[in-house]
Amino acid sequence: MQEQVIDTSDVLHDRHPPGDLAIWIFILAELSVFAVFFAAYAFTRMNNVELFNEFQQHLDRQSALLNTLTLITSSYFVVRAVAAIKENNHKLCVNWLLAAISMGFLFVVIKSAEYAHHFGEGINLSTNTFYMFYLSLTFFHFMHVIMGMVILGAVAIKAKNGGYSDIEHTGVETGASYWHMVDLVWLILFPLVYVMR
Amino acid sequence: MTYKSQSVAKLYFIAAIALFAAQILFGLILGLQYVMGDFLFPHIPFNAARMVHTNALIVWLLMAFMGAAYYLVPEESETELFSPLLAILMFWIFLVAAGLTVAGYLLVPYSTLAELTGNDLLPTMGREFLEQPTITKLGIVVVALAFLFNIGMTILKGRKTVINLVLLLGLTGLAVFFLFAFYNPTNVVLDKYFWWWVVHLWVEGVWELILGSILAFVLIKVTGVDREVIEKWLYIIIAMTLITGIIGTGHHYFWIGTPEYWQWWGSIFSAMEPIPFFMMTVFAFNMVNKRRREHPNRAATLWALGTAVMAFLGAGVWGFLHTLSPVNYYTHGSQITAAHGHMAFYGAYVMINLTIISYAMPLLRGRNAANSNKSQIWEMWSFWLMTIAMVFITLFLTGAGILQVYLQRVAENPQPFMVVQDQIALFYWLREIAGLMFFGGLVVYIASFFVGQDEPEATVAQS
Amino acid sequence: MNNKVMGVRRCTWVYLVLMFFSFITYFVGRLELSGLTISLFVLLLALIKGQLVGAYFMGLGRLRGLWRWPVFIWLFIPGTLISIAFYLSA
Ligand code: HEM
Ligand code: HEM
Ligand SMILES: [Fe+2]
Repeated sequence: MQEQVIDTSDVLHDRHPPGDLAIWIFILAELSVFAVFFAAYAFTRMNNVELFNEFQQHLDRQSALLNTLTLITSSYFVVRAVAAIKENNHKLCVNWLLAAISMGFLFVVIKSAEYAHHFGEGINLSTNTFYMFYLSLTFFHFMHVIMGMVILGAVAIKAKNGGYSDIEHTGVETGASYWHMVDLVWLILFPLVYVMR
Repeated sequence: MTYKSQSVAKLYFIAAIALFAAQILFGLILGLQYVMGDFLFPHIPFNAARMVHTNALIVWLLMAFMGAAYYLVPEESETELFSPLLAILMFWIFLVAAGLTVAGYLLVPYSTLAELTGNDLLPTMGREFLEQPTITKLGIVVVALAFLFNIGMTILKGRKTVINLVLLLGLTGLAVFFLFAFYNPTNVVLDKYFWWWVVHLWVEGVWELILGSILAFVLIKVTGVDREVIEKWLYIIIAMTLITGIIGTGHHYFWIGTPEYWQWWGSIFSAMEPIPFFMMTVFAFNMVNKRRREHPNRAATLWALGTAVMAFLGAGVWGFLHTLSPVNYYTHGSQITAAHGHMAFYGAYVMINLTIISYAMPLLRGRNAANSNKSQIWEMWSFWLMTIAMVFITLFLTGAGILQVYLQRVAENPQPFMVVQDQIALFYWLREIAGLMFFGGLVVYIASFFVGQDEPEATVAQS
Repeated sequence: MNNKVMGVRRCTWVYLVLMFFSFITYFVGRLELSGLTISLFVLLLALIKGQLVGAYFMGLGRLRGLWRWPVFIWLFIPGTLISIAFYLSA
């Protein structure tokens, strides 16, 4: 028998998602919470179209766009970090991770400024149904960004100490998967809450 | 048993089972009073019996948790308990306090008990599950602190495992949230608001951590599966528990005067609370399927799997049933709630304690790994009797609850509470019969500790 | 992930598409366009973005079997529900 060598890097080759299976179960559970929240938003809006349309105008769309760009960029950086460790390049991997974390930090700063603005106007969860959803959804997501940064931070530290290699890098992929999930949620949240009317 | 000091667990387990028996006896009295209003009146009024039933439940679960901790922490830490003496001392304080409190409930009217124990100095009494006199509550705090100190020091000087740390986190949380039992504002909204921090954040928060770690411990022992695999599961179960359970408290904030957003927060987050329970079920069956050895204690494995299934049914399924605010609008405080309360408490916390007792007791009593076949067969019979009886109690109460909600709250001509109660009495009779079956199971359970003592240990079946 | 299209990593292409779609979404909001068609269009862009992230960033696109689908299904179900809700309220 002759063995055939083919490049499997891009063809269908695996049954398991990258990273630890446990994180994926966690990701699915988290995604379902957000899914319920999104659907609840849409159906509540159905009965309060005017209210939602009116107060949506008060949101800061520009910040939302910037935040979308930071998250997408940071997700991209994480992809590059995974690619780097697969080439056994620790240093590069750490640098990409740090870049990703800084983008996450930028997100937090921009979002905090938005919150400061709203709170300064005396807006809170009880102001009206639209703000209730806006604040709940974005804040729940906000907490995930922070959580994701902590995870990426832990991965970066371990990577810096040479804890990963081209052979064993499950941890990097685990952190990456979680971070992409945070991005993914925002990609729906942004148009739904800020744009669609 | 690897460490001598583990033997203090035995005291706690025995007392727990005795209180369990008392709890069920009073359950039967309550069940009968539901259909024969003046049964035992005026000697044991419904409200007193109810306090004994629920408080005995809580206290025996706490005792068994402590026993479990005293058993598994030395083994996990690979060191003797920091102070066995302190553990024994605390046991007696706890037992005497519990005994006096129950006697107080039964012997004097509740208001007199409040007066006698100086409730007016620091009023904490009169709220469901927290009816204990203030001095009893203080006693509980002392016992809990000494217990945490003892367990914490043991872990500190020994090996630190994930199971140990999760258990410690759960037990600490248990103590911390109990402190809200001392906060008793006159504003009823605030009162209820924080009351749930004890009740809900216990059973749907920190107790779940305790449940998870005990289950993980027993599964490691009976299946021989790698610790690493089990720890990974524990992590995600805990994370999911906390994410859903903490904000899930909102499912009690629908109608008590709290802001409207709780309708959404409570509904959405608590609707996800079944997920960690479901993970636990998958986890337990997975581990048993991947087992690396056959453990001769088949009863313990049965209890462990039973816990995983019944906790999911009672907490997950029956909890979900009434957790969305539009549903809870109708079912709030009905027999549906009682159905759920019974199956959830039994499936999660009664069964996990019976699991660890089943695993540890034979070892504490000098066996190598397991009881004799005969004793295990009795125990497994009691498992099925009690579990099936609890399923029936739950189903009958659910039937009663559906009718009650319909007649009293949904029908075009809603009827008054007591009129409806009369119409659903049949279900209460059936519940009482199922309760008798439960009691039968409990008798078999207790008997299983006495039968087959002189027979040889069970060995792994060579089938 | 190392393979390139026209000399640029595939993930970089995906990144550029994601950025581009985000700008479109922003301008729709900026111009305060409204109505069912516009909303569904914006939603569709978001779903495509989500699928790109799932398939290329998360790496699910390479998988065989069940794990290929969770993100797709996750996008599909709320996407459908949101569409229905917007349709009914239009
Ligand atoms: C092992 C875990 C659990 C235990 C021991 C438990 C126990 C209880 C008990 C005893 C009550 C009645 C409290 C009272 O009003 O006196 C209750 C109420 C309630 N439980 Fe649970 N529960 C558990 C988990 C859950 C879960 C996971 C859910 C949701 C999915 C849930 C949903 C509810 C709801 C909505 C109520 C309020 C019912 C009403 O409005 O009357 N529970 N629970
Ligand atoms: C291990 C088994 C049992 C557990 C864990 C348990 C638990 C509980 C709990 C948590 C409550 C408070 C429920 C609530 O606030 O909604 C309660 C009340 C009650 N239990 Fe049990 N119980 C058990 C066995 C029984 C049995 C065998 C009976 C009788 C047949 C019984 C009859 C009652 C009655 C009548 C109430 C009062 C309900 C009310 O206030 O309307 N219980 N039990
Ligand atoms: Fe609850």
